[in-house]
Amino acid sequence: MQRAHRKAHALIWTLLAVALPLSLAIAFGSKPKLSSDAPSIQLKPADRPEGS
Amino acid sequence: MSTAYKPVGWNRNKLIYDAILLCGVVAYILLYLKLAPSLSPSVRAVDMPILRMRAFGSLAFLLLTVVLAIGPLARLDPRFLPLLYNRRHFGVMTAAVAFTHAMFVLDWYFSFSTTPRLTALFTSNTSFGSIAGFPFELFGVFALLILLVLAATSHDFWLSFLSPPVWKAMHMSVYAAYAAVVLHVGLGAAIDGTNPMTAMSLSASLVVLSILHLLAGRQETAIDDASSRIETETGWVDVCDQDAIQEGKAIVGVLPDGERVAVFRFKNQLSALSNLCSHQNGPIGEGKVVSGFATCPWHGYQYRLEDGCAPPPFKERVRKYRVKVSGSRVLVDPVAVPLGTRIEPVAIAGALSSASPSTPTTRTSP
Repeated sequence: MQRAHRKAHALIWTLLAVALPLSLAIAFGSKPKLSSDAPSIQLKPADRPEGS
Repeated sequence: MSTAYKPVGWNRNKLIYDAILLCGVVAYILLYLKLAPSLSPSVRAVDMPILRMRAFGSLAFLLLTVVLAIGPLARLDPRFLPLLYNRRHFGVMTAAVAFTHAMFVLDWYFSFSTTPRLTALFTSNTSFGSIAGFPFELFGVFALLILLVLAATSHDFWLSFLSPPVWKAMHMSVYAAYAAVVLHVGLGAAIDGTNPMTAMSLSASLVVLSILHLLAGRQETAIDDASSRIETETGWVDVCDQDAIQEGKAIVGVLPDGERVAVFRFKNQLSALSNLCSHQNGPIGEGKVVSGFATCPWHGYQYRLEDGCAPPPFKERVRKYRVKVSGSRVLVDPVAVPLGTRIEPVAIAGALSSASPSTPTTRTSP
């Protein structure tokens, strides 16, 4: 019981330590990027929609 | 202990613990609301409801990180044991803060249409085919549900009703909640890149928790691997030299099946109990003898050294093992005697003997 619990614990944290950073890296990597020639857009404070 | 409901037994330690926790929560929220806008231009640009939402959300994540760090910290350094004592209250507070965060989210983002708020929550983003645009809210809902269930079942009534192994297994789902929170924060707040602090906090939490848990696990594995030597003639386990056990303390040996046994020395007599507290599987052998009873360092559960039974009115029992001294070596029979069997402690050669345990110290349910 004790040893099985410890092994399960170690397995869970090994998986989390590998899978979570990997998932986040994939998510960040797949974030849509603006093309290099996209025009810059800057809203004036008065143009900001309410609540943004 | 029966499975009848008993109110939480408050004592001075718990009141101080909870007061500090509550003060910390209030201080964090006030500081966040006051300081975050001045520290980050992106935070300055948001409205107060969003700021409140982020204050509670970030606090829930911080609290969950601390809750998950307490276990391995206490394994690695006993000075963190006081934090473990009332960890369940920490968990309940985390669930409450996360719930408040969710309520602020519903009241701000999903309250200004005729669509019911929960319907709007589950239908406003259906980009299931996108990775970066995945509806991160669902991870938050999943984590919140787990935290609420764990908070609701944190009382000792559920521990007794479900039995410690089932309760422990169920409460390990907090790791799934943590994974969901990381994805919730990562896909939701960190990915928009407007506040680098979010991504930094997320990474720091993940790195710290992974390192702590893996280090604690490695330490436990090393103890298992260095299992105690088995005497070939009798099959008994050689735990240590009798002089290695300090008065009122124990040394933990490892049995061939991986279970651990705690050999206590009290009034120069030796007794062997399972190292596994029947309350929450705490390491009894890392505790000490208090008023003649082996006392678990986690929550103070006590057991008689002679038979492994908790003193009346409590009913918990732990396994009891035969012990003997051969030369100066302490040997333990790896086969436990039936629960509740009384075995007289073994006197250490040349030492004077003992008295019966006195009244047990007070114990309260966390």
